[in-house]
Amino acid sequence: MTDNDTHDRANAPETDGGVATGAAQAHKETDYLGSEVNILNPSTPYMRDHLRIVWTGFAVWVLAIWGPVTLTRIAPGPMTSQMPILGFPLHYFLVAFGAPTSALILAFWYSRKRDALDEKYGIDHGTEADAPSGADVAATDGGSDE
Amino acid sequence: MTGSSLLLQSDLLPEALDISFKIGPAILVIGMLGLFLTIGFIFRVADTDDMWVAGRSIGNVENGMAIGANWMSAASYLGMAASIALAGFYGLVFVVGWTTGYFILLIFLAAQLRRFGKYTAPDFVGDRFNSDTARAIAAVTTFLIGFVYAIGQAKGMALVGLYIFGDYGGLIPGLDGYQVMVVAMMVVTVGYLTLSGMLGATKNQAVQYVILILAFVVGLFVVGWTNGYSTVLPQLEYGMLISELGSEFSEPFASSSYYLWVATTFSLIVGTCGLPHVLVRFYTVESERTARWSTVWGLFFICILYWSAPAFAAFGTDLYSQNVGATYGDPGMSSAASEVIVVLAAQLSGLPDWFVGIVAAGGIAAAIATVAGLFIAGSSAISHDIYTNIINEDATQRQQILVGRLSIVALGALTTLAALNPASSIAALVGYAFSLAGSVLFPMFFLGMWWENANRQGALAGMTTGLTLWSIPMINQIVPTYIGSLDAPLSAGLAQWMPAIGSALITLPVVFAVTIVVSMATDEPSLETKRIVRQCHSPEPMGQQETAEDVVADGGEEMATDGGHTVDDAATEE
Repeated sequence: MTDNDTHDRANAPETDGGVATGAAQAHKETDYLGSEVNILNPSTPYMRDHLRIVWTGFAVWVLAIWGPVTLTRIAPGPMTSQMPILGFPLHYFLVAFGAPTSALILAFWYSRKRDALDEKYGIDHGTEADAPSGADVAATDGGSDE
Repeated sequence: MTGSSLLLQSDLLPEALDISFKIGPAILVIGMLGLFLTIGFIFRVADTDDMWVAGRSIGNVENGMAIGANWMSAASYLGMAASIALAGFYGLVFVVGWTTGYFILLIFLAAQLRRFGKYTAPDFVGDRFNSDTARAIAAVTTFLIGFVYAIGQAKGMALVGLYIFGDYGGLIPGLDGYQVMVVAMMVVTVGYLTLSGMLGATKNQAVQYVILILAFVVGLFVVGWTNGYSTVLPQLEYGMLISELGSEFSEPFASSSYYLWVATTFSLIVGTCGLPHVLVRFYTVESERTARWSTVWGLFFICILYWSAPAFAAFGTDLYSQNVGATYGDPGMSSAASEVIVVLAAQLSGLPDWFVGIVAAGGIAAAIATVAGLFIAGSSAISHDIYTNIINEDATQRQQILVGRLSIVALGALTTLAALNPASSIAALVGYAFSLAGSVLFPMFFLGMWWENANRQGALAGMTTGLTLWSIPMINQIVPTYIGSLDAPLSAGLAQWMPAIGSALITLPVVFAVTIVVSMATDEPSLETKRIVRQCHSPEPMGQQETAEDVVADGGEEMATDGGHTVDDAATEE
């Protein structure tokens, strides 16, 4: 049943030709249980794409967390100056408000990216209830991407 | 005896806090506890699946709220504002460390854990590394984390309880008012936990989240408004106040070095990703996509409080300076007073008792929700991982649940004893548990999930190294405070470079290196284990009740069918 669904969906965009189909095709041809898991050496196209997102997010995250405090150590003068309007010392604001907010935005960004990645590879995580609509979205997106 | 308890009295009763029995707040708190017990009773369980992972039925927002309530303990609700008020810029390590770690958890572990799909954190370690010894070390670590972490919670609950119920020093012979309150609060918490298990706890945590966040945010708005500090967005408006609070509040590296700042945040972040009661939240959700999105929701719910806490600290500090005495300098605000600064701020604003009671009750809800998560994780480690998997493999569900409940009672008793005379501030106590989780469990989860060649010998060597290294600064700094004749720290140099609260900055790389080197020097793990790891990373959806092990067990055929699938495709193309 489910197999058929995936099948149809993966085939539909294929007629349009394009990246999405190639990825979905690659996904079907991948033997995930036969491919090594090593964070430094991704072995499947899916994991390569996934890790690109992971490392990008990670790099931004490192800067957002330890960047401000390190700058404060290096250049205490400018970093502790008072911000206009809000009145915070800059370093205080970047740490107390900036760091948690960056993590939240990054988390949202990552989850969106992951959903998009699943879509690109024709993977459907939907529960029974929203599975059909999920498939529709995938098909439409595939078309509009072209 | 009398001398020491008198000393305790002066140490642990916060000055300026109005300690007396108050009827309104008392009804509020008793009503709240009654509600928790009722929910726990309605959703009580007699089934291990429900007891440990809530039937894998929890959705996005509900799990997000549970993540939030589970997470935000007395350390977030009370301790963080306390640290920001007293330690200034250094106090912000808790704001950063206790939020941003969720991103690492999300990108590296959440979905993979859901796919692995067992019951407890030690389950992962035991099954991934095929070792009951590794399972036992992880279980003992989990128990230890629950214990260290819960001491801070008991302290927070007791301090707030003093405001609401008053001073019953002497009611239990030899115990002062604070200590009587520790005992009372722990009895209630343990009572409801033994009844309800994880399902009740998850339902309860969603309710507890709502209570604690409303109490905190409404408290902040009202305090800001009535004192003229802020109007609609106190989370940003307190910036104007900072320049008036004294350089101690905002000056960078005034009370700590840059190194300590980085070490502490690092430790808190990797600790977040290794805490069993946090990790287990990803076993309770319906799918891996839910595991991801509920993390985003959880982080959002957490941020609401973490954006607000520094504002509360700023208001509290200013109110304290105006009404009680100088916050900084000698004598300054005592650490006991700072621990209840959130409640103090409401009280010093001249707000009615019942309103201050709401703020105080939120602190109790926060502490109970987290103790629930911790004790469930700790007791499942004992009952599921040690008793059922190692001691008595034929244990019936009845026996397992009995052992689970007994270990909750044991944890409760131990925590109560240690909390009678706590060694550090709430936030610091909790911080030690994070160093432990980051030193022992996080490396096992990270390497176990992301490097299929990590093996049993590597894990055993790594975890032993982690435990040993973690205990060094603890012995250096914390143990002496419990021994009268010794001064802490034993070695100042060690305390500077390997502080108990930030020790994972040193231990984590060492544990990683040890695990990798030993794994490479010994045989690779079996193909079956590798296939389980690969299944955790496969994007192919899995059934709600399936674990990676299940899929791999009948995997040979599965893969064959998939192969057929491709052929099928080719056929259609023609």
